[in-house]
Amino acid sequence: MTLSQTQPITELLDAATVQSICDEVWPSLVGDGEAFVPVPVPPPAELVSAWVDIIGPWTGSVVVTCAPATAEALTESVLMTRPPTVVDDEDVADALGELANVLGGNVKSVLPGESRLGLPQIGPAPARGRLDDVRALVGQWRGNYLTITVQGTAPHPSGTEVPQ
Amino acid sequence: MRALVIDDSRAMRRIVGTILKDFGFEVREAGDGQQALDVLQEGKAESWVPDLCCIDWNMPVMDGLQFVMAVRANPEFRQVTLMMVTTESETGQIVKALAAGAHEYLIKPFTADALRDKLALLGLLPEGVSA
Amino acid sequence: MTLTATSFDWVRQLVHRESAIVLQPGKEYLVEARLLPMAQQRGLSGVSELVESVRNRPDPAVTRRIVEALTTNETSWFRDGDPFTALTSTVMPQLVAARRPDERLQIWSAACSSGQEAYTIAMLLSDALPNATTRVSITATDLSREMVERTRAGRFSQLEVNRGLPASMLVRHFTRAGNEWEIAPALRRMVTASECNLAAPLPRLGPFDVVYLRNVLIYFDLPTKQGILNRVRQIMRPDGWLFLGAAETTLGVDDNWERVVLGRGSAYRPKKGA
Ligand SMILES: C[S@@+](CC[C@H](N)C(=O)[O-])C[C@H]1O[C@@H](n2cnc3c(N)ncnc32)[C@H](O)[C@@H]1O
Repeated sequence: MTLSQTQPITELLDAATVQSICDEVWPSLVGDGEAFVPVPVPPPAELVSAWVDIIGPWTGSVVVTCAPATAEALTESVLMTRPPTVVDDEDVADALGELANVLGGNVKSVLPGESRLGLPQIGPAPARGRLDDVRALVGQWRGNYLTITVQGTAPHPSGTEVPQ
Repeated sequence: MRALVIDDSRAMRRIVGTILKDFGFEVREAGDGQQALDVLQEGKAESWVPDLCCIDWNMPVMDGLQFVMAVRANPEFRQVTLMMVTTESETGQIVKALAAGAHEYLIKPFTADALRDKLALLGLLPEGVSA
Repeated sequence: MTLTATSFDWVRQLVHRESAIVLQPGKEYLVEARLLPMAQQRGLSGVSELVESVRNRPDPAVTRRIVEALTTNETSWFRDGDPFTALTSTVMPQLVAARRPDERLQIWSAACSSGQEAYTIAMLLSDALPNATTRVSITATDLSREMVERTRAGRFSQLEVNRGLPASMLVRHFTRAGNEWEIAPALRRMVTASECNLAAPLPRLGPFDVVYLRNVLIYFDLPTKQGILNRVRQIMRPDGWLFLGAAETTLGVDDNWERVVLGRGSAYRPKKGA
């Protein structure tokens, strides 16, 4: 399939579907009664991301981004740790990565055609491709900034990135 | 009852392992398919053969589907029940796993109740635990 | 503001009148948890404010939503296993032998919730009987309009299909629709869904060969249970079968049933001459 035939993610995936995936993932993976609330709050100064790549008719990444402290709290919630147990960096990378993996797998399953899922990665969010090839949900968990971004890697058709 | 939980995420190994232990399973873990095959081989020496393997799909080194095929190809492990526990959830993927010899398939995310329901289907719930 | 005693009492009486569900003292937390989202949706600060506003301006749509919010719709596929094993191993073979080939076998999932019980039966019978789609009709009813609509739609979330549905049946009988799963049209046509309050005189239904009346009697007081079991018996065939939930029985409630052990579980049959 050539680039021009590939539909952007905005044509393939609506925000309501991403939210409904979150509505299943949060209570079962993050914890009973937990929710991703799609009401934006201001972003923190420092951010960390975990993502998985989807490779197929549509190629891109499913990225979870939040503050390092939020990532730590998410990890504690996923692992159901009780004080004085503390989570280390490896735990956080692992748990945030698994959250991205579960979100990514569910996103992949609603996209047309056969795709593959990559292994979770963690770090600064990967670069975005075409700016019209992004489906982002900006919201919060327990009042803290958190975004879920489904973003293509295909470059802008003109070959140059549109300035943000 | 014995279980081997195979997942590259240790958070997920811990979640699945904790639920299984609550049902009285003795649990071992592996981080990928190859490690899991090693655990099975090593277990033979002490006649530790799992009743159940919970298997993630996407893992480094050897993925869950390859692991299922490797176990199914070995008659020594004919008694082991294989259940995929993965975020892969297209019909085609589920069919592929069942065709390779997986007995059941649990889609992530799942609740503890969902895992218990699957154990009930597989006849792996210990007596006294109500379905 | 927290739930006042008068508000709780008003909800308790409303729910009892409309559904016969008994909300014992001590269930205040349940009323609070189930009705708070509804109150907030209406811009009200709490459940007592919600109750006040309906008492001042009665609105049947709102009272219905309150009652429906207090039903418990927890269900799963192949719930408890035994009543479904018994259906294919004992009940169906006997009924098929006893009925004329052109007679439809009528099955009732009373209190069907979102439809998992009815479609479990549909899947099993479509696998067990070559002509199931024409030979069997399944009636699914519930008090809750929302649940009836969900049953009719035959669409289930990922979390719902994870609850007890064998993977082989998922891939055979469902197709994906977005991130939900939709039951095959042929199976959906086997199921007719409608509203029905078991605690009130029953609409014209049946006569039924098999009734699944499971995990609903537990919510009622003894006279209500007796009334329901009596009305259900009136619309069953004399050689029909009744399945109750694992924690439910006719024993000590209604003597007009005979308990039959089927495998690891049990069923009830109308007593002769009762
Ligand atoms: C726990 S679910 C049971 C579903 C299914 N039978 C099962 O066993 O899994 C109970 C259902 O009973 C329904 N219900 C409660 N009161 C009722 C009444 N008076 N008449 C009919 N249905 C009622 C509720 O709406 C709910 O869907």
